[in-house]
Amino acid sequence: MGFDINREPRSVKTVIGVSPQETTLSEHLSPLENLELIAGLRGISPDRARKWSKAMVEIMGLEERSKDQVRKFSGGMKRRLSIAMALIADPAVVFLDEPTLGLDPQARRALWEYIASLKGEKTILLTTHYMEEADFLSDNIAIIDSGKIAALGTSMDLKTLSMEKRTIVINAWNITIKAIDLIRDKYKEVKINGNSLSISGKYLDFKETTDFIHSTGAIIRSAYFKEPSLEEAYLKITGKELAG
Amino acid sequence: MRFTKLAIRNARETYRDPLALGFLIAFPLLFMLLFGAALGGNSDFSYTIGVVDKDKTGVSEQFVTQALDSVPILSIATFETDTLAGDSLKNGDIKAFIVLPSGFGEEITKSWQQENPDIVLDLVYDESDLTVSSQIISAINISVREFANIKIPITIRTSHINVETEVSQMDFIAPGIIIFGLLIMVPTSARIMVRDKETGFMARLLATPTYPWEFIAGYSASMLVVAIVQIIIFILLAVAFGMNVVGSLSLAFLIFFLTAVCSISIGMIVAALSKSENQAEPLCWIIAMPLAVLSGVWFSREIMPEYIQFMGDLFPYSHAVSAARMVIIRGAEFSAVSESIIIIAIWAIIAFITGIVLFRYKMRA
Repeated sequence: MGFDINREPRSVKTVIGVSPQETTLSEHLSPLENLELIAGLRGISPDRARKWSKAMVEIMGLEERSKDQVRKFSGGMKRRLSIAMALIADPAVVFLDEPTLGLDPQARRALWEYIASLKGEKTILLTTHYMEEADFLSDNIAIIDSGKIAALGTSMDLKTLSMEKRTIVINAWNITIKAIDLIRDKYKEVKINGNSLSISGKYLDFKETTDFIHSTGAIIRSAYFKEPSLEEAYLKITGKELAG
Repeated sequence: MRFTKLAIRNARETYRDPLALGFLIAFPLLFMLLFGAALGGNSDFSYTIGVVDKDKTGVSEQFVTQALDSVPILSIATFETDTLAGDSLKNGDIKAFIVLPSGFGEEITKSWQQENPDIVLDLVYDESDLTVSSQIISAINISVREFANIKIPITIRTSHINVETEVSQMDFIAPGIIIFGLLIMVPTSARIMVRDKETGFMARLLATPTYPWEFIAGYSASMLVVAIVQIIIFILLAVAFGMNVVGSLSLAFLIFFLTAVCSISIGMIVAALSKSENQAEPLCWIIAMPLAVLSGVWFSREIMPEYIQFMGDLFPYSHAVSAARMVIIRGAEFSAVSESIIIIAIWAIIAFITGIVLFRYKMRA
């Protein structure tokens, strides 16, 4: 959009919508009144603001309570309204700060679905401490540690970046003692738990490994590369796992 | 206009919050009720005053025996000369004495005949007790006006101060209490904005392209509605408790309204400087309570040392109190209180602009 935030703060404000971390609403106003207020402050005419607000209330599933004061709402309803207030007047860039903080899993999932549906329509900057939320919603993720960007990329980029070695998990029958000895001789990091084998190594090849296990007489039922979670990637990148 | 949207929102927030509304209306109301009950009711006490009748006409005699004698708080003692009455005053036998000059009866008769009278009374009183003297002046004034059947205030020439009209306790105290009620608008005005800061709602508002002046105007305008309601309630209550509005009610209302604007603007300054209600509340009271004392809302400023009076003069509230008393008690016209009104208005404008500047500075910070 080409606006300088230092020199043109007002211009920047005309193209952004913000949902702060705290569920900050005007508690004694109804959802419609809250939405109309923000729309009005964003320069929308009263008629359009009213129509837009009604539409947003419907999208957020708040139409039955559209005239109630929001102080009586549940956390989930307030969150939805807060996001609606960030989205009203169609800003090009939306900032969502911890949008699902404190929500139950059902409400969180519903909100994720809605935010995901906005992909492609606008740029959304979402901050969260929930790694699964970032993984589910984000095209690009920045891991911020002590106020600095520690890593930036797609979810897969970050997971790969954090991966020092690869792990193949194999579920097999007929893992004999002899087979275990052969596997331990070939691979340095082997974990065995019943019928499950977990083999780790920096240059592990999937086909070669499964062929070798097969050659020991074990019957492979399933095998897959274990992908690190974003949370593991976060801990690796920030070094927090050491502190823990 | 964005500020009107903010104003409507803020008014709704206040109107729908019983606690906030209760604080805004009930707190000053409680003061008014207490003072009204304490000072406005009927009392059994009476003051003995002396009368020196130099007119010695039937009318003057009638005034003494019928008009003055029928005032519940006055007992009358007559004296032949000023000296005798003065001695009695020095002895403490009487609280004051009034001199009916030659021609008094003639002036009263003029008044009865719908002509313009020039009624001048000389009053000598015990200056050690200003409150009592003011009540006596008030009682005499009312009785003369009723007796002469005139509506304009008469002239009472006193030996120590130039009080020219009736002053009952309630007349004296009510304007001060109303100003005090409007002073309390400093914390209440700051409250909404500070709470929005504390809850983070302000952060959301600041993300909209709203100008600093629109914020200040929006928060202020919502309080103006409250101020107008407060002023009306105060005036009605004060009248119910016996305040006698001699001057223009609309002029008194203007003074009160501008004072309210001052309080709201000062409240905006506090709100711009404070991050939380915990910061704002003490700051407001630190400002409001000393100003209340300095401005003479409860007591006459004449009993205060000169330097305290000077300090009070620096702020708008002392001007508001004196202007309101002049209009309500003495029936002063606009020209007589214009200087005070200008000072209050300038204060309101400066405080409003300061609020905007500070808010803008804090926004950038």
